[in-house]
Amino acid sequence: MTDSDEILDIIFEDVLDGNVRQAAGHAQAGLDAGVSADMILQDACIPAIDEVGLQFEQGEKFVPEMLISAKTMQSVVQVLRPHLLTEQSAGAGTFVIGTVAGDVHDIGKNLVGMMMEGAGFQVIDLGVDVDAERFVEAVLEHKPAILGLSALLSTTMPAIGTTIRTLEQAGLRANLKIVVGGAPVSAAFAEQVGADGYAADAGSAARVAKSLLGIA
Amino acid sequence: MKPRVRVEMALANEQPDRAPFQATFVPEFAARLRADLGLPPIPLHDPHNGRWNGYDLELATAQDALQCSVGWVTNYYLDTKPYVDAWGVEWAIKNYATPWGTGFFTEMKRHPLADAGALATYQPPDPNDQALYTNLERLVAEHKAEHYIIGRLHCTIFESGWALRGFQQMLLDLLMEPELTHEILEITYLYHKTVACQMAARGVDMIWLGDDMGSQKNMLISPKTWRTFFKQRMATLIAEVRALRPDIKIAYHSDGSIYPIIPDLIEIGVDVLNPIQPDSMDPARLKQEYGDRLCFFGGIDVQRTLPFGSPDDVRAEVAARYATLGAGGGWICAPTHHVQADTPLENFWALVHAVSENAPATTHA
Repeated sequence: MTDSDEILDIIFEDVLDGNVRQAAGHAQAGLDAGVSADMILQDACIPAIDEVGLQFEQGEKFVPEMLISAKTMQSVVQVLRPHLLTEQSAGAGTFVIGTVAGDVHDIGKNLVGMMMEGAGFQVIDLGVDVDAERFVEAVLEHKPAILGLSALLSTTMPAIGTTIRTLEQAGLRANLKIVVGGAPVSAAFAEQVGADGYAADAGSAARVAKSLLGIA
Repeated sequence: MKPRVRVEMALANEQPDRAPFQATFVPEFAARLRADLGLPPIPLHDPHNGRWNGYDLELATAQDALQCSVGWVTNYYLDTKPYVDAWGVEWAIKNYATPWGTGFFTEMKRHPLADAGALATYQPPDPNDQALYTNLERLVAEHKAEHYIIGRLHCTIFESGWALRGFQQMLLDLLMEPELTHEILEITYLYHKTVACQMAARGVDMIWLGDDMGSQKNMLISPKTWRTFFKQRMATLIAEVRALRPDIKIAYHSDGSIYPIIPDLIEIGVDVLNPIQPDSMDPARLKQEYGDRLCFFGGIDVQRTLPFGSPDDVRAEVAARYATLGAGGGWICAPTHHVQADTPLENFWALVHAVSENAPATTHA
């Protein structure tokens, strides 16, 4: 095993285990040893966060573990960023996400954002209680490849449909993939409101998004 | 059959004339129900019965168990304008649209221990303040002869803890700052342990504890984390209540899916599990695996069936629960959360009527 393989393994494990206190130091040590930032991102961080997502889906990791892994990856990316060849070196595209009007629940939405960032998307998080008009403005401004709509409650879930219809009326639907999620949301509901995809949890969101966009 | 006897039989795993029924309502749905029933309006119905709503709505909807809350959970729905509760949590008002008009939720906005430095001087309210128990005493005095009385203290340790600290921060703290987390949870635990004992001493039939540990399909935190921070505290709380009142029933509420800790809950003395969200945990599996050691309280879905189903769907769900959770007794029929403002009245009435009409004794007559 080469030194660079070893450092990539360490950083992979850091992200997988949420070793948030040491990961940035390991990333810096990797850069100092001549491992490229792009390699650390592509061959350690992204596979690790994919694995975190998979373990979450399979019920082996839970929300705190996932949050810490995402934070760990963010700390590594912060060290890598000035050294990445291009801003888009991991570019899967732009992802806009928000919790729909009337709903302030954010943990699931935050996790999806973190996992999408981990998977190489540029993430624009509009926050919570986002009305349809603000989604329209954000789509016009950021021209995302994909939009994520979240709701936790049966009472706010219909705002997902309202948002999609508003985007249609604004003529913004054709080139935009929309993926929806949240506790009461189902694949059947996603179809009913005209979304392109449904992600059952934050672990599967990036996979669903990439499959909708036809990227690996 | 007296309502309280109906509940006692069900909890003894015997078959009453019908499953006992219990339900709570968000203010908007309570107002529609009151209008439908010709009951006088009240200013702001409190679904936890921390404030005194009276129990005319519960009696008019054939409820067998009546609940009253004390503790942190009573801070929901304190007002229709933004407010700060006695624990220092700041609340905002969030509106949402339904086919029956605008509804609102009270949502936490700022948390007094968001900065951990505030912990050194933080003072929770006094759980021995006798004024906290006035409504509970009145409920017991006026209704215990006929009805089963539940002292409710949801958000017992974890949820009140995250109200103080912030939800996402506390989830991180569980793994990153365990000592700080123990200190914060000790505050909410000690407070609610006193509340539980005060309630038990005042003659409630059941103490209804609760902390949400489940997400839709899995636990929110790992079983190991739950055992590290919550199991022993819940065990001690239950043991102290039982020392005062050996006959008391203990219910535990967690939304979502919590299969891995059900054996632990049984071990520490939980008798009744609530609310059995059918999309999260399979009622048939629960009855089969734990029906000899646990009773079930809930089971009627508020995520899909009550708001979006038809009255026939509601009747079918009641029948299905009778066949699983309710087989041979052991079931208190209830919606899996407060009935929400998006629910058609006819679905709720279908539920109330189906509880009687689908009861095994009637079916087999």
